[in-house]
Amino acid sequence: MSYVDAGYIVAIGGSFLYGLSLFLRRRRWERALSVQESTPDERPAVAECP
Amino acid sequence: MSTSMSTSDGALRTPWRPRWLAVVGIGAVVTAALTVWLGLWVTPPDEVQGNLARLLYIHPAVATVALYWAGGVALLGSLLYLWPRTRSFFWDRLAAAAVEVGAVFSALTLVTGSLWGRPVWGVWWTWDARLTSTALLLLLELGYLALRRVPADAHIRAKRCAVAAILIAIDVPIVHFSVDWWNTLHQSGTVLDPGFNLHVHGSMLWTMLLSFLAFTLIFVWLLAMRYRIEVLQDAVGDQELEVSLSERWNEDAELVGVGGGSGAPGGDEGGGS
Amino acid sequence: MWGHFMLHDAVLVAGKDLRIEARSRVALWQVVPFALLVLVLLAFAIGPDQASLRHAAPGIFWVALLFSTVLAIQRSVAVESGEGTRDGLRLSGIDPAGIFLGKAAAIGVQLLALQLILWAGVTFLFDVRVHVIWLAVVACLLATVGLACAGVLYGALSAGLRVRDTLLPLLVLPVLAPVLLAGSKVWQAALDNNVSSGTQWLKILIPFAVVYLVVGIVLYGPLQEAA
Repeated sequence: MSYVDAGYIVAIGGSFLYGLSLFLRRRRWERALSVQESTPDERPAVAECP
Repeated sequence: MSTSMSTSDGALRTPWRPRWLAVVGIGAVVTAALTVWLGLWVTPPDEVQGNLARLLYIHPAVATVALYWAGGVALLGSLLYLWPRTRSFFWDRLAAAAVEVGAVFSALTLVTGSLWGRPVWGVWWTWDARLTSTALLLLLELGYLALRRVPADAHIRAKRCAVAAILIAIDVPIVHFSVDWWNTLHQSGTVLDPGFNLHVHGSMLWTMLLSFLAFTLIFVWLLAMRYRIEVLQDAVGDQELEVSLSERWNEDAELVGVGGGSGAPGGDEGGGS
Repeated sequence: MWGHFMLHDAVLVAGKDLRIEARSRVALWQVVPFALLVLVLLAFAIGPDQASLRHAAPGIFWVALLFSTVLAIQRSVAVESGEGTRDGLRLSGIDPAGIFLGKAAAIGVQLLALQLILWAGVTFLFDVRVHVIWLAVVACLLATVGLACAGVLYGALSAGLRVRDTLLPLLVLPVLAPVLLAGSKVWQAALDNNVSSGTQWLKILIPFAVVYLVVGIVLYGPLQEAA
């Protein structure tokens, strides 16, 4: 693999992986919020520290 | 999206899937794919650097996002938060999101720059002004992110972080200037030309401009997603606080008997040191 | 039997400390950037000349590690600085030697991870390559034991004091100086491919680790009572 290929993979792949992580994190937090709102009495602390 | 100071918002209840975000996302993917195709196959190799010059379609765009787009949004958001006329958690959250995205891109800048520099200079790293300032920028951004994670009242945290961001924005040019001077005053045998002796013309120029567009779209998409997460985190945190406050009220009410609780609820469960 | 309880308690305490770190991630977000910052600052101090930097690289690695160790110890002590937490720990019946070993193990794990990162950082930023890898690895492992044990001990010494934050570095860094000295020399040997010199300097790291391990096991309990 050449330096050029590595550079492209790092930049595009890195952005993609970060984007994927944001996508998953957003889903996780949306779930946490909806769980909290549906059962406010029984589930006080659903979300952990970020 | 709420721009008011309150965090509980009806808009939070539904999953956030705005049309413009999808458009930006698709645009980002398309332009990025085009850039890769043009950059790796269609454009000619450079006269001096050969195929290495293809990193021209990656590294400068990534660096621009890290330094100017992310840094600019972070600085702007911080300033607008601090200024009373425009104060809103929207700016605070936008700035925080920009700093995280900026940190990721600063790291990518360093790696891609390193991959470009190794075959050209023979070393993975050199202490020239641009690289060193970017490294320091990354460390400063990590510091900001660490600061952001310390549990605190939302207003206090916002103010703290806004000041930190402004100080970072002031600091980076100073660092860049001093390192530059440090390097030029130093008599060393190595000759490193950050200009790389590249003449950009024709298809190279267009592809480079396309790459800027691609990474800008990628930045916007990432920023929007990260901003949304920031909103969600604050909302969940507020919910938790409300729940634990109401639990404390109920406990106090039970202790005292029927009627209001005796003392104010003391929500001091913050665990950070 | 006595040893069995000590180890069991050590595992409990180590698990607790590491879990706290996994949740709060202070070491990750604060100590690691700090360590990298020290690398950068020392590079500024030494100058842009590649040869000087390469020559100074081993020392820079160990200085950055030592300063970061102080931070990690301060964090480890701060975790239990809440009202009554230390009393609670003492009254819980957990063997104090076990507490010592557990906390040292937790710090040790963090230091090992930090050393990996610093190793990568030094290799990358100063353009050096370790040629005798086993020398460098053994030095790091031995040093970690010594740093963690001495660190927890001195952390306990300064715990509960209001001047703790300025006192701890002052107390512990001179004590850790032999590790800096020997560690730098071993690494220099590892870079220069000089095995005999390297193994000589390892002979300082071994007794240091052993001494502080034993002293810690013995003295930690009495220290807790005195604090």
